[in-house]
Amino acid sequence: MERTDDLKIVKVKNVPKRKNKDTWAIIGFIAPAFLIYGVYVIYSIFMTFYYSLFDWTGIDSNMVFIGLENYIALFRDGVFWTSIQNNFLLVIASLFTQLPIGLIMALLLFSPIKGMRLFRSVYFMPFLMSTVAIGILFIFIYEGNYGLLNSVLGVIGLESLQTAWIGKESTAIWAVIATVCWQFAPFYMILFRATIVGIPEELYEAADIDGATGWQRFKNITLPLLMPIIVTSAILSVIGSLKYFDLIYVMTGGGPNNSTELMATYMYKQTFTNFNMGYGSSISFAMFIIAFIVTLFILFGDKQRKGNDS
Amino acid sequence: MFGKKTLWIMLIAIMLLIVACGPSDETSENEDNTGEDSSETENSGDDSEAEGDEEEITLILWHIETGPSGEAIEAAVDRFEEKNPNVTVEVSQQENDPYKSQLSVAMGGGNPPDVFHSWGGGWLKQFVDSDQVVDITDSVDASLYNEAALSVSTFEDSIYGAPVSMDVVPVFYNKEIFEEYGIEEPETYEDLLGIVETLTSNDITPFALANQTKWTGSFYLMYMAERLGGPELFNEAFERSGRTFDDEAYIEAGQKIQELVEMGAFPEGVNGMNYDTGQSRQLLYTNSAAMMVMGGWLVNNVRDEMPEFEEKLGFFLFPSIEGGEGEQNHVVGGVSPVFSVAKQSEHPEMAAELVNELASLETATQLSNNAGSISAVNGVEYEDPYIQEMSDILESSEAMQTYYDQTLPPELAQTHLDTTQAIFGLSMTPEEAMAEVEEKAKEVLAE
Repeated sequence: MERTDDLKIVKVKNVPKRKNKDTWAIIGFIAPAFLIYGVYVIYSIFMTFYYSLFDWTGIDSNMVFIGLENYIALFRDGVFWTSIQNNFLLVIASLFTQLPIGLIMALLLFSPIKGMRLFRSVYFMPFLMSTVAIGILFIFIYEGNYGLLNSVLGVIGLESLQTAWIGKESTAIWAVIATVCWQFAPFYMILFRATIVGIPEELYEAADIDGATGWQRFKNITLPLLMPIIVTSAILSVIGSLKYFDLIYVMTGGGPNNSTELMATYMYKQTFTNFNMGYGSSISFAMFIIAFIVTLFILFGDKQRKGNDS
Repeated sequence: MFGKKTLWIMLIAIMLLIVACGPSDETSENEDNTGEDSSETENSGDDSEAEGDEEEITLILWHIETGPSGEAIEAAVDRFEEKNPNVTVEVSQQENDPYKSQLSVAMGGGNPPDVFHSWGGGWLKQFVDSDQVVDITDSVDASLYNEAALSVSTFEDSIYGAPVSMDVVPVFYNKEIFEEYGIEEPETYEDLLGIVETLTSNDITPFALANQTKWTGSFYLMYMAERLGGPELFNEAFERSGRTFDDEAYIEAGQKIQELVEMGAFPEGVNGMNYDTGQSRQLLYTNSAAMMVMGGWLVNNVRDEMPEFEEKLGFFLFPSIEGGEGEQNHVVGGVSPVFSVAKQSEHPEMAAELVNELASLETATQLSNNAGSISAVNGVEYEDPYIQEMSDILESSEAMQTYYDQTLPPELAQTHLDTTQAIFGLSMTPEEAMAEVEEKAKEVLAE
């Protein structure tokens, strides 16, 4: 890296005209994307922060500047802390269930079982369904009185485990998280499968000649070559979980008694149900900060890993 | 050099962005214009009428009626368009719960419909206070409407919306089950508790309730509180004159609910069940639950979903509680739809005309006879015995308690709903729940 930088500086000093041309070309290519990014991302983040400094209903012109009071209230708000906790539960559950299950499914698709094409479609199906449909489907599966899950538990003699899955504060968040994982594992399966397809056959042939077992082949060839895509998946999964909204909104609406509230659903509730645009914006902005810090951590960790590799 | 130039360009880009984001400023100017005073809005109304001969006017209407009620609205719009050939009405049917946020976004974004639906009460008042709703006192004939119905959209003697229908919340029950176990309609709360015991011992869930939806559970709290504390309890707490939301009657109401929960009066996991996806009604239809405290629209649901169940469906009024101040003929009810005109409408006078057509005797008659709601417009002749009976109840009742969640300001309403759900889930004691409501009330109602 350093060497190329040096080179550039030398170049710049020698042929300044060339540099100008490049600059305009670069700007020309970046400007359209930057404009869109600016309007929809940078400007929005800035405005969110701006609104969060006001006591404002969001529907009238009467905005009262209250400085950081929304943030002070936020720190004292128990529901907000519950929602952060739930978000991190979701992050952990996503990382440690969606990715491994996606990987296992991807590996299964390479095993010499008959009818693999059918399984490929079946495995991918959950990801193709609309979130609202999934939500309603699982509401009925989890239903406490005549739901599918309880019926199955009854049939196999586990009546003691029967409960109202999304009606109880203690189980609701787990029931929804399980649904989220069910929906998104196939997405990672497709990513992993595409990468595995790209691994050269020769490596496996060489391993066979050396007498490697199946596990050794996986550990020493497949996994290392999958690492970059696993890191990308982890980032997607973490950010996705921190911003998650859909299934919670459809299945529990944040209830019962706020036990499944996420930052995004709580923000929605405050902004649009309670008419607290200012407070809602401060939740939004806090979400942004949290997601930002977490992303920095992951990127930093990944950099360390790459450093160790070389 | 390199860095400086890019910096400049970025700066210019940002400036461009700010200019590009101008529309929000424009809309706020518009708001100012329309909001200045009523004489100006009248002027713009006159303009539009003058233009009317040559120019086409388009009005946008948002409503949330479905099925036969939706057809009644469509019919009213057709009549209106026939009378005013130069006007086209774009009807947009919205979904119940998302509608609330949809409208507030539209109002805030400067692009609301001309005529919109509401339930009156605190929710509508929020928009009135934000100067978003046209005062239509002069364009509607107040004498046409039921007084109680009109009161939900009347603030400080000005009318901000015209009501079409009303609903009463009785206790519906399955006659077949009642006959099978020799149960009579209860007259006292003791009777009701006896019924709950009989039913639970026969493995039938006494009350079908889907309380993820929250307003469904609120019915029980409203009735208990009214029966214990009398019809003035809520008004005193709401108007901050006398008793408060943490009054003993409210706490006892919460205790009574938890007592029912512990007796097994509600289905497993009530707080996870959703009314909109029919989870409580299924229990009723399959004879696994016997009763349901629900608005008159349940009849409409039944006709839609399981018409053969209608003959099994009976109802009684929530019984009085011994020692309480409330009476059995005091009912919980509400008004819906109420139609109002948005201040930002370009043709407020035309829009008010549309409101008159929507809240006309014809619409109300059609709604009552086809969709099972009680008319808020006087003089409707009911064909449906159910509705006739409910209308009689409403007329003979000495007090009507409007739904808390629509009467209270939204934030306080949410606290009421959340805490009531927590009471049903036994995760809050009634004392804690009511203290939280009272604390929020002090904060919100003090303003």
